[in-house]
Amino acid sequence: MDVREKLQDIFRELFYDEKLVLTNDMTAGDVEEWDSLSNILLIKEIENEFGFEFTTEEIVSSKNVGDLIRLIESKAINK
Amino acid sequence: MDNSLILKEARKYIKDSKNCKKNIKIAVLGTESVQYFVMVLKYLLSKEGIYADIYEGDYDGITMNVYDDNSEFYMFQPNITIIIPSYREFKESPNILEEYSETEALVENGVKFYTNMFAKINANLDTHIIVSNVVIPPEHPLGNLECQTHYSQNRFLNAINEKLVQEKEKNVSVVDLEELASCIGKYSWFDYASFFLTKQPYKIDYVGQVAEKFVKQILALKGNIRKCLVLDLDNTIWGGVVGDEGYEGIQLDPNNAIGEAYRHFQEYVVKLRRRGIIIAVCSKNDENTAKEPFIKNKNMILKLDDIACFKANWNDKATNLKEISKELNIGMDSLVFFDDNPAEREIVTRFLPEVYVVDVPKDPAQYVRELDQQSPFEWLQITKEDLLRTNSYVENAKRVKLENQFVDYDDYLRALDMCGTSRCIHKCEVPRFTQLLNKSNQFNLRTRRYSEDDIYKMLSDDNYACIMTQLDDKFSEYGIIGCAIIRKQGTTCYVDSWVMSCRVLKRGVEFLTYQTIVEQAADWGCDGIEAEYIKTKKNAMVSNFYDNLGFIITGQDIEKTEYAIDLRDVSIPRFYIRRTEDDGC
Repeated sequence: MDVREKLQDIFRELFYDEKLVLTNDMTAGDVEEWDSLSNILLIKEIENEFGFEFTTEEIVSSKNVGDLIRLIESKAINK
Repeated sequence: MDNSLILKEARKYIKDSKNCKKNIKIAVLGTESVQYFVMVLKYLLSKEGIYADIYEGDYDGITMNVYDDNSEFYMFQPNITIIIPSYREFKESPNILEEYSETEALVENGVKFYTNMFAKINANLDTHIIVSNVVIPPEHPLGNLECQTHYSQNRFLNAINEKLVQEKEKNVSVVDLEELASCIGKYSWFDYASFFLTKQPYKIDYVGQVAEKFVKQILALKGNIRKCLVLDLDNTIWGGVVGDEGYEGIQLDPNNAIGEAYRHFQEYVVKLRRRGIIIAVCSKNDENTAKEPFIKNKNMILKLDDIACFKANWNDKATNLKEISKELNIGMDSLVFFDDNPAEREIVTRFLPEVYVVDVPKDPAQYVRELDQQSPFEWLQITKEDLLRTNSYVENAKRVKLENQFVDYDDYLRALDMCGTSRCIHKCEVPRFTQLLNKSNQFNLRTRRYSEDDIYKMLSDDNYACIMTQLDDKFSEYGIIGCAIIRKQGTTCYVDSWVMSCRVLKRGVEFLTYQTIVEQAADWGCDGIEAEYIKTKKNAMVSNFYDNLGFIITGQDIEKTEYAIDLRDVSIPRFYIRRTEDDGC
């Protein structure tokens, strides 16, 4: 499973939407349950799944799903 | 439960339970974000049958909510108010090298944050307040001097925490979050990244443990407290199987690591007994074999006298637990079961869901930590009676022996040589009076719950009398074991509450209390007494109590029966308690 698929599974479970499909320009505004609080859970789930921790700057600067995927990919390589 | 699982389940619960019926109102105010806390609190309470309607205070809004008389918080009228302040509330810290007296003044001033707030809330609401102390951050810019100088932030916040406990009002309980955070580890507790991003005050993983602490406090407030630890024997309080290895062969050797682990656990159990927890044994063994180590093994720390009820036989544990609850006269929901065997735990969990089953770890060296962490015995207060109780359960065995010598019950009661006091309570007796009132379920006519504060108010109201009854017999002192609240309503005396501890059933204590009620009614110049029985799941024992005293039924439906009696018709049943006077405290 690649990063996008793994991330999609996390999104589907966390935001209670089995049919959710990730797109690169997707933001919190596009997903009903995605707010600042559930965002903490999202970060936590990603960190657990991929085995690294985000820096505060990384979290702040990820503006959409595309950013997030690129970030995860680069962190996974440099791990 | 697993930390991340609890959050997921809580979120799901909140989503699915929007329209369920609520049975309590709780307000939660915090310096920082309380959203996740509220979510998990709701979820954990629902598992205890408490469905909370929760008012969530504004971010950084403690002051705003409390000092505005027209705030939504006051409109909400919560039964319970939870306040979770952060150290960031205390903006003024001591200056390095300042005089001790200046730091003291700063502490005085700091604690006013709490006391002014409590006063304001109490002026506006009838609520119980559960407040957390502040978690002191791990940074120590002064190094070791942090703990050695009065002007360090660490010492300053510590002083505020201490002062809070000294100066809190009667209707305030303190939850020790500082201790929880220390046990977890401060570097792990404080998650600054999430704090900066979302103002979540501590790492999200711990929200379950934090909420759990408050749930236990709420349960204790509602009178749901656990009183008795039921222990297995083999591989639970000693290593090995006494039936195979004999009383000398079991592992309790203080010079062996495993033996030490079991002894450490026994020492902890003794500490529980000393604070008033009843200890019982439930083991699959022959009784004599099971008792031998207690009598003959010199490395045993627990003694037979510590055990209030000893069940060693080959019956299943669910049956034995029922027997224990019956013999000790306490509800199944008062029991905590500790057994190393997962199969036994499974059976008890399945057949007796009210019993708290401790998830016992494999390694005996972890027993103490696990039991301590699960902390099933969270009480609101400890009273003299709690300590007397563990003795009186042990003495009970002797009493039962005495009972068996008599054919006539009255002879037995006479032989017990009982004396009792029954009168209006003094201020110092309010904690115990309130405790008994709130935790009695069986001998309880109306099951009204009151806070200490309510009782203090009644003490200063001439139309109320709060009557306590205490008892001694030749075997033990019981302390206060009966309470009644009566109210003068014109020319009648209304029995608002009447409860008695089940430890003194069938001893005539209720008749002594009745006598005092009648005297007080006459004193008030009343010509009759009115009373009521309100049915609950647990108080069938007293469903005919007033009928038996000769009261007349004046109204009745499925849930309650109303009664009245003319003072001239009162006849007090015979009892064998010598009435003594005392000055109280």
